[in-house]
Amino acid sequence: MITRINQLPTLRVDPANKVVFDYKGKDYVGVKGDTVATALYHNGVRIFGRSLKYHRPRGLYSLDGECSNTCMEIDGIPNVRTENTLVKQGMKVKEQNVKGSAENDMMGFIDKLDWMMPAGFYYKTMHKPASIWPIAMKQIRKAAGLGVLSPDFEMPGKFDQIFPSADVVVIGGGPAGMNAALAAADKGLRVIIMESRPWLGGFFDYRTFDYKDAQYKNSKPLYSRARELASKVESHANIRVFKHTSVVGTYTNNLVTGFQIGGDNDKFNERYIEIRAKSVVVAAGCIERPLLFENNERPGVMQVACAHRLARTYGILAGEKAVFSVGHDLGLEAAVDLFDLGMKIICVADVREDGQNPYLMIELAKRNIPYLKGWVASEAHGSKRVNKVTMTTLDGTISRDFECDLVVASAGLTPINGHLTLAHAKLRYDSHTNFFVADTMPEKTHAAGRMLGLEDSLSIEVSGKLAGLNAALDCKLMPQSYGNTEVDALKSEIESFTAQSKELPGPARGSKFVTAPVKGRKTFICFDEDTTIKNIKQTIDMGFDVPELIKRFTSAGTGPGQGGIPGHNLPLYVAKYTAASSKCFSSSSSSSIQSLGATPKPTNVRPPLVPTLIATYSGSKHIMMKRTPMDEMQRADGGVFRKIGVWERARYFSDDFSCKKEIENVRNNVGMLDGSTLGKFRIHGPDALKVLQRVYVSDMSKVKTGRVKYSAMCNDDGCVIDDGVVVKLAENDYYFTTSTARAGATIEWLRYHTRFDGWDFYVVNLTDSMGVINLSGPNARKVLQKITSEDVSNSAFPFSGYKEFIIKDTIPVKAMRLGFVGELSYELHVPSSYMVSLWNMVKDAGKEFNIQNFGVEAQNVLRMEKCHIILGQESEQRTNLLDLGLGFLWDRTKKDAKTIGAVALRQAENDPTRFRLVGFEMENNGRAARDGALIVDDKVRGYVCTARDSFTLNKAVGMALVESHLAKVGTRIQIFEDECKGELIYGTVVPMPFYDPDGKRMKS
Amino acid sequence: MSLTITCPICGKRDGYEFRFGGEDKGPRPEEDGLTPQRWCEYVHLNECVAGVQKEWWVHKDGCGSWFTIHRDSVMNVEVATLEAHK
Repeated sequence: MITRINQLPTLRVDPANKVVFDYKGKDYVGVKGDTVATALYHNGVRIFGRSLKYHRPRGLYSLDGECSNTCMEIDGIPNVRTENTLVKQGMKVKEQNVKGSAENDMMGFIDKLDWMMPAGFYYKTMHKPASIWPIAMKQIRKAAGLGVLSPDFEMPGKFDQIFPSADVVVIGGGPAGMNAALAAADKGLRVIIMESRPWLGGFFDYRTFDYKDAQYKNSKPLYSRARELASKVESHANIRVFKHTSVVGTYTNNLVTGFQIGGDNDKFNERYIEIRAKSVVVAAGCIERPLLFENNERPGVMQVACAHRLARTYGILAGEKAVFSVGHDLGLEAAVDLFDLGMKIICVADVREDGQNPYLMIELAKRNIPYLKGWVASEAHGSKRVNKVTMTTLDGTISRDFECDLVVASAGLTPINGHLTLAHAKLRYDSHTNFFVADTMPEKTHAAGRMLGLEDSLSIEVSGKLAGLNAALDCKLMPQSYGNTEVDALKSEIESFTAQSKELPGPARGSKFVTAPVKGRKTFICFDEDTTIKNIKQTIDMGFDVPELIKRFTSAGTGPGQGGIPGHNLPLYVAKYTAASSKCFSSSSSSSIQSLGATPKPTNVRPPLVPTLIATYSGSKHIMMKRTPMDEMQRADGGVFRKIGVWERARYFSDDFSCKKEIENVRNNVGMLDGSTLGKFRIHGPDALKVLQRVYVSDMSKVKTGRVKYSAMCNDDGCVIDDGVVVKLAENDYYFTTSTARAGATIEWLRYHTRFDGWDFYVVNLTDSMGVINLSGPNARKVLQKITSEDVSNSAFPFSGYKEFIIKDTIPVKAMRLGFVGELSYELHVPSSYMVSLWNMVKDAGKEFNIQNFGVEAQNVLRMEKCHIILGQESEQRTNLLDLGLGFLWDRTKKDAKTIGAVALRQAENDPTRFRLVGFEMENNGRAARDGALIVDDKVRGYVCTARDSFTLNKAVGMALVESHLAKVGTRIQIFEDECKGELIYGTVVPMPFYDPDGKRMKS
Repeated sequence: MSLTITCPICGKRDGYEFRFGGEDKGPRPEEDGLTPQRWCEYVHLNECVAGVQKEWWVHKDGCGSWFTIHRDSVMNVEVATLEAHK
């Protein structure tokens, strides 16, 4: 354990507040504010895990989660980025991809076998002979990979989603972002600022290097300037701050998505945030470009900001004796600062020949820190952690070894451009900054700050302010938003700031791309995927020339770090190496860009820019189901409810899921069913009939007053999508029902298929405003007659009849005489608000007959015995009207109506390859086949739609869709059920319907 | 997800509120003399333009109307005309 420096003003941890967590079964102590990675580092852990392919030891490198080095299993969740996860009391932390321990990994020998694994070896080896692959695959899977998810793991925690709206979204809470947010918010706009760290401040937050105000006079440490800005931002009424929130996607139309990690007082572990803004400011800043040298990822090698922030933010000195190999002023600054904090700095090597900040040079000299201009690290030594580093001049002529326990290495900076490119910005390589910069910006998007190459702190702040003002202008220029009176004032303000920013230092010159003069066998360009410089060379030599393809072939940049490590180096290296190797063949080098020789092409990034949990995307698990007006009453009667489509419906009314009693009661007495989920619509207007003619296959002009008409709707392929009944309320005024599942889509369907006609009609969805009671059984009439004075005798209200009447002078009823279940049956449609009253009335009236509820399953069996179809059960997407034997519904004469499906039905009419719906019974009193079982001979010939043991018929019957040659009555069919182990069961095709073939009962 | 659509009745709204209704292929062909081939093409074949195309949308979570817009399928943004905007 290292002693913490407890008194720094820059600290973001509370050293007095201890947090105890579990690492590999032992208690470790961190402090509040620590990330898991810093707490482990503080406790002396240097090897956090082993690498994907070679099992190389890996340690703390970037402190921002840019590589998988420090991914660990936390509380059962694998691949957690410990650098971004705050340590919590009782957390259980484990290392990954090790056999033994990270310190002593038995698979560590693989690192010596890299010669067996050239670039793309997965594609080239172990496939001849084919039999070798299954064996090899097993071994590879055992050896390679990162975390492992246990198959029975259940994701703990709460996840949420919010969709706030804002005028301006600012991505990045550094000095530029905060200035942008303040500038826009001061113009009265609503601003959201998103920052991936748990605090605002960015590059300023941990630095003490003097801040210069506008007059370059009064000096102030950068961190205190950052905190001053942060308190302004957080107290601004117009700014909503999301900290610990990574932006994972930016899209056209200024849509920004991210996820926030919940703090102690939040009700969520993580939440997804999706914001639609009028304008976006991207001030995402920079990360460091890794320095390429042998063993550049050995534990003990880390980036500048990692070592610097470890000390300033967490109070931890990363090592005792450090060697610096850098290419940027931030590296010099860190060396000076860490020296002052007590670290021994052996030397600082800088790849730059010139351009250093003279102030920092003086500070280095004051402290007698040896400074090696034009030198670079070429190899780190030490088997598990660094104990020595070899430094060389850039041309490799002189080299020297230095003993140390820390190598602070960084080639320079690289902008985080993902937020721009996702929104379709095209990147261009800029030879001054050595950055990829956006050539054209997405609409209403503005970049600011360090990602533009700015280094001067005032330039960074002013660029943020300018971006904020430009974003404000975007909003004010929008019609219907804020009026245009302020626009001119805003424009002149922007002009004056633009002029002011021209006075300030512009983008700084970036450091050259330098690789140490080594072969690169252990020089890692991508840590996540264990890709070396040598692999890249092999790939280019094989003929790959585009970075995007090289990325695919070597998988560099496809790991959890999302290209954070190789994103910049890969294109640069490819440009340099391709140019170098082509020079062997031609002597022209006129188009050389600096030392690279060719223009680097960036690789693409894709959302999510930062790895997040699928649980966060799926959000909270609200289950929202619709309930009918009869829901409570059916529950009180012992209904067993099931989710059916968008509804919760009573499927059974006892523990007997065969529903014997319910079925027998309907067949012999009288039962009632809640049919309120049925789709119910009214269509009226001059062209209402034309619409019905278009969507229904039957001739709807034949719908008679006082009668119901059953018909079906097809799609353009002639496949049945819906069936239901239509009644005529008045001239050009109809009431019709659809199946439960189609209720939501019906109006859309009607409007879609009449969109070119300009017809005049109104259609109203009454599904939720009307309820339905289905009263069925031989005693149904007696029950109904008790509650109405209307004559409901068979002659006055026959089968297929429709009547409207009012019960008790109050309840308006639309009554239909139907026979879905095959018995005398009434469907009573009433406004939902009257449903409870009517339900009670029917129940009271039925008491003397001992009326019973029946549920959806009983109805299913009853109608199956009668061979009435349910779409979706007796049909699937490809089943057309004729397959189901419903061809009689189709009126071929109404060509002018352009009925949907008619063309396709004519074409399918004589097609012998189509399935037919048949009835069958099981052989030898066998049990019913399971729904969905296959009808087979030497191939699949069809499938069982619905089959049940029928109490009414005393045998097992069902319906199936089969190939037409099996459709003849008397044909024996063989049925294959899941897991039947070859034991087929058999049935015979029989005529339909099975029950009451003449329909005497439903018509009586 | 990022798409916004201008409904002729309700104005510019979030793309979540709408459902796609396919490319605009004009009204249904007359049934007389219609070959199976031609019908199948009308129903199933699409241009799938990488660029601006005219297409149908319904404001399902709003007024319920069907209308056409021009959409740049590469950028996934609504545009004013069939001309590709640069």
